[in-house]
Amino acid sequence: MGLLALGTALDWPEAKTKAHHVRAWGIKQLLEIWNKAKVKERDAMLWGDEVEYLVVTYSKDDPEVLLSLRQADILAALAEDKSLSKETGAPASPGGTKPLKNDPPPVFHPEFGRFMLEATPGKPWGIEFKELLNVEADMKLRRTIAKAHMLPNEFPITLTTFPRLGSPGVFTEPSYPVSGSKLRSQFVPDEIANPHIRFPTLAANIRSRRGRKVQVNVPVYRDEATPWPWKDPTVNYDLHQWPEDDDVRNGAAPDNFIHMDAMAFGMGSCCLQITFQAKNIIEGRQMYDQLSPLGPILLALTAATPVYKGFLADTDVRWNQISKAVDDRTPEELGEKPLQNDRWRIPKSRYASNSTYISQDPRLRPEYLDPNLVIDNDIKQQLLDGGMDDRLATHFAHLFIRDPIVIFNEDLQELDLTKTDHFENIQSTNWQHMRFKPPPADNSIGWRVEFRPMEIQITDFENAAFAVFMVLITRVILSYNLNFYIPITRVDENMETAHRRDAVLSEKFYFRRNLFSAKSSRGGSGSSTPRNSSRPPTPVGPVEDEYRLMTINEIINGSAYAGTDSSEAEGDDFPGLIPLVESYLDSVNVDVTTRCQLATYLDLIRKRASGELWTAAKWIRHFVQTHPDYHKDSVVSEAVTKDLVGKVIEIGEREVKGEGFKGLGAEVERLLGGFK
Amino acid sequence: MTKLILSTGNIVSGGPSIIRKPGAYRSNLELTNSLRSNFLAAQEDFAAIVADDAAAHHANGNGIENGASNGNGNGHSLHLNTQTSGRAPASVWTAEEGGALYVPRIDWSEAGLQEEPSQYSITVKLFFLPASPVSRRAHLAREALDLVRKELNVPAIDLLIVSFPGMSFEGDCEWEADKQNASQGNDEEEITTWAAIEDLHRAGVAKTIGLAEFGTEKLAKFLQRVQIRPAVNQINIKNCCNVPPPLLKLAKEQGIELLAHSDCVDILPEGTLRELLGQGLGGAGILADPETGAGGLQGDLAPQWVVKYTAVVRDRGVIENKGYFAGAELNDI
Repeated sequence: MGLLALGTALDWPEAKTKAHHVRAWGIKQLLEIWNKAKVKERDAMLWGDEVEYLVVTYSKDDPEVLLSLRQADILAALAEDKSLSKETGAPASPGGTKPLKNDPPPVFHPEFGRFMLEATPGKPWGIEFKELLNVEADMKLRRTIAKAHMLPNEFPITLTTFPRLGSPGVFTEPSYPVSGSKLRSQFVPDEIANPHIRFPTLAANIRSRRGRKVQVNVPVYRDEATPWPWKDPTVNYDLHQWPEDDDVRNGAAPDNFIHMDAMAFGMGSCCLQITFQAKNIIEGRQMYDQLSPLGPILLALTAATPVYKGFLADTDVRWNQISKAVDDRTPEELGEKPLQNDRWRIPKSRYASNSTYISQDPRLRPEYLDPNLVIDNDIKQQLLDGGMDDRLATHFAHLFIRDPIVIFNEDLQELDLTKTDHFENIQSTNWQHMRFKPPPADNSIGWRVEFRPMEIQITDFENAAFAVFMVLITRVILSYNLNFYIPITRVDENMETAHRRDAVLSEKFYFRRNLFSAKSSRGGSGSSTPRNSSRPPTPVGPVEDEYRLMTINEIINGSAYAGTDSSEAEGDDFPGLIPLVESYLDSVNVDVTTRCQLATYLDLIRKRASGELWTAAKWIRHFVQTHPDYHKDSVVSEAVTKDLVGKVIEIGEREVKGEGFKGLGAEVERLLGGFK
Repeated sequence: MTKLILSTGNIVSGGPSIIRKPGAYRSNLELTNSLRSNFLAAQEDFAAIVADDAAAHHANGNGIENGASNGNGNGHSLHLNTQTSGRAPASVWTAEEGGALYVPRIDWSEAGLQEEPSQYSITVKLFFLPASPVSRRAHLAREALDLVRKELNVPAIDLLIVSFPGMSFEGDCEWEADKQNASQGNDEEEITTWAAIEDLHRAGVAKTIGLAEFGTEKLAKFLQRVQIRPAVNQINIKNCCNVPPPLLKLAKEQGIELLAHSDCVDILPEGTLRELLGQGLGGAGILADPETGAGGLQGDLAPQWVVKYTAVVRDRGVIENKGYFAGAELNDI
């Protein structure tokens, strides 16, 4: 979440009237920074990770585990701690890892959920390979510091969602009544959200714009004793406090779906996000495009979300739930009513997979783009008039089809071109799976690309592994000039596929067959054999022939490893992302210790992709289904939740103490292997 | 005697040649695959040029052979075959320059890196092959490094790693490798050769110099006898990622960085090179058929060195240029 300015937030009907105003100024600010920064060159590769935590209260003696709503107090305690100020530097990291004494301490941020915390490193990471090993130590340090500023019975854990968020009864500490004026949820209280005016306003205005509450429906997992058709037993059809209470009577809660009705069910999820700085705008646009098709793959590979509101879900990841939890589209925009007041039908939520590519790469064929992309033509024209190229103008004109949700009255007095607040208002509430980030108004840092689909993992070992893997993938893409393009609508389909239960092993994903380009396309360096300019260009076949369905194992480990090479046509072997990373690592100077540590990260990912190790989703599902208090009816009880969180805490404590994961049971071995 | 200079060009965006498969990751495959594909690409390109020229000449009716676009195709003295079916004659896609035959010919006009040299970390690994006489190694090292400097258009490289024949760091776990390593190689030859490497450092063309495949015992002995100490010792850790503590300790005490690699020491055996250049399937058609003596150059083939170079953009970790040169001699029978 960005900087939290204070002011008078406008409620929806009024905010709506200022939407054009914000967009118009946002575009002016965008053009200002684009003009200033489009010539920026040679920015270093810097990157950062964001880890999000749930804060729970847990003790062995209490019957229940609860979400702690003391976010503000914890952040205040962190802010008051002088040892965490920039000047003094961070305390030595735990677990016998390398002390980071000269680095600034980690930074903690509020998040939407009042039970959440976000932590980032004190300074961005570089690309020195030795530095990559500091990531895990730094993540452990963040966890340790966070824990040290909590009550003895509070713990920061990295589950994507709290299994019983929104279940009947008490699930927060302290507990509040549901059905507040902002969220109007029958499952969670308004106090579930960060009390800063931005957050309740965001939730209330999304609901208001939509004309009803958000509908977050997840298919329930049908177990042996699950009644069928299944009707969510926690839905109350007899509430009459708010107009929105009619939603469930109007079919908001269909059979066989777990029904949720508030932004907190989505935005209360934790994820692992990585942001990379590109050398210039061209490289930034290239990375945005090339990482886009990897999004669904990494989503499925990091799957960690099999439980919602006390029920086993039939999906493994959080993505669509967040998408639905912030879906502010009106019935007209959704296509449920003819267009009268709204400007267009919009096929996706503002939280969704990317809808377009943005690079001017000649390898981007027009067929990869979505011909039905919705854009604001006036805004595109303004950007074109301002000198921006068609493709980038299209991207921003697509983001700007959305209304700003939270508008502070004070910001509308005067246009300030030394700020980017109006641009960011739209940009940062377009939660697509990649984000292309212009430099800040002072142009002090470079063009950046954020990779957003990954689910948070239970341990920092895993989180570091995935973060480092993505960093290495970007270096491989740039070094080998890889081409991952497939039609963007296929990326959408992959995103849906990634949700299916155990998609990592049982589903196939559209992926490009040949990642390599014809030799001369790059304008690379070095001599060559003299080329004949009249040599015919490589023939271009149908786009459909450029990609095929592959398993995640094949994409990550290659056809040969996955054992799928014989089933496909001769010569259609896919090299695999990990073999490409290894090929890259073999070409650069890496010291032996670093190389071995990187090898364990790659091993973890290799084994997750091959099924030798379980995803967190599979582990949690298995934990629930084998618990004595589980009755094969899809219900995840308080007792099960308590033991699950207890196990997660136990794993976390082992990790920060550097004691390894041995002896935590065979199931934990299936999740984490013998790595520590 | 004919000197051959083989080259791969920049292989980083070269596709299949950089792809590894399980159990076959060593760089000898990368080298031979990328040489083969570079030969093939050159042959295809020049076949097209020859065909174009033939068509143009035919249309003009002027009958002039060997048009200017073929460059200095002077293969005549080398008895190269000129008309192998479907393949450009070696005389067009190779070139003789300064007493060496370049396979394929190199257009140096595109040589160089995209940004100024200070932006890069350039590592060069020089493999002396078993056939390289110790007395000639100073000359060969200079020759190899000059080719790299010309290719990258840089006055100096950052790290020159030298790999000696008959040494490896392989075995059941690195402990075993370390033990076996102690009796490998030839201490005297290595010391003599190192002096030549030191000279390259003194001359300013190699900013730092290093070794490959030195185990604890060999490294300790080596350090006692050299004037300029290696900054780096590169070892293969593919077997189990367990560096023997004595080697770690020695390296730490001596300020030598232990780098990982997965190169094959036997990087270009004579048989492999003969296949690459021969008349067989997948061969380049440079060498004569040993049975019939027809179709190309004759003589004993002796690969002498291989040099691998890598230019990485320093603060971005992007490999911009990577490739190989190899030097061989063809001795008259």
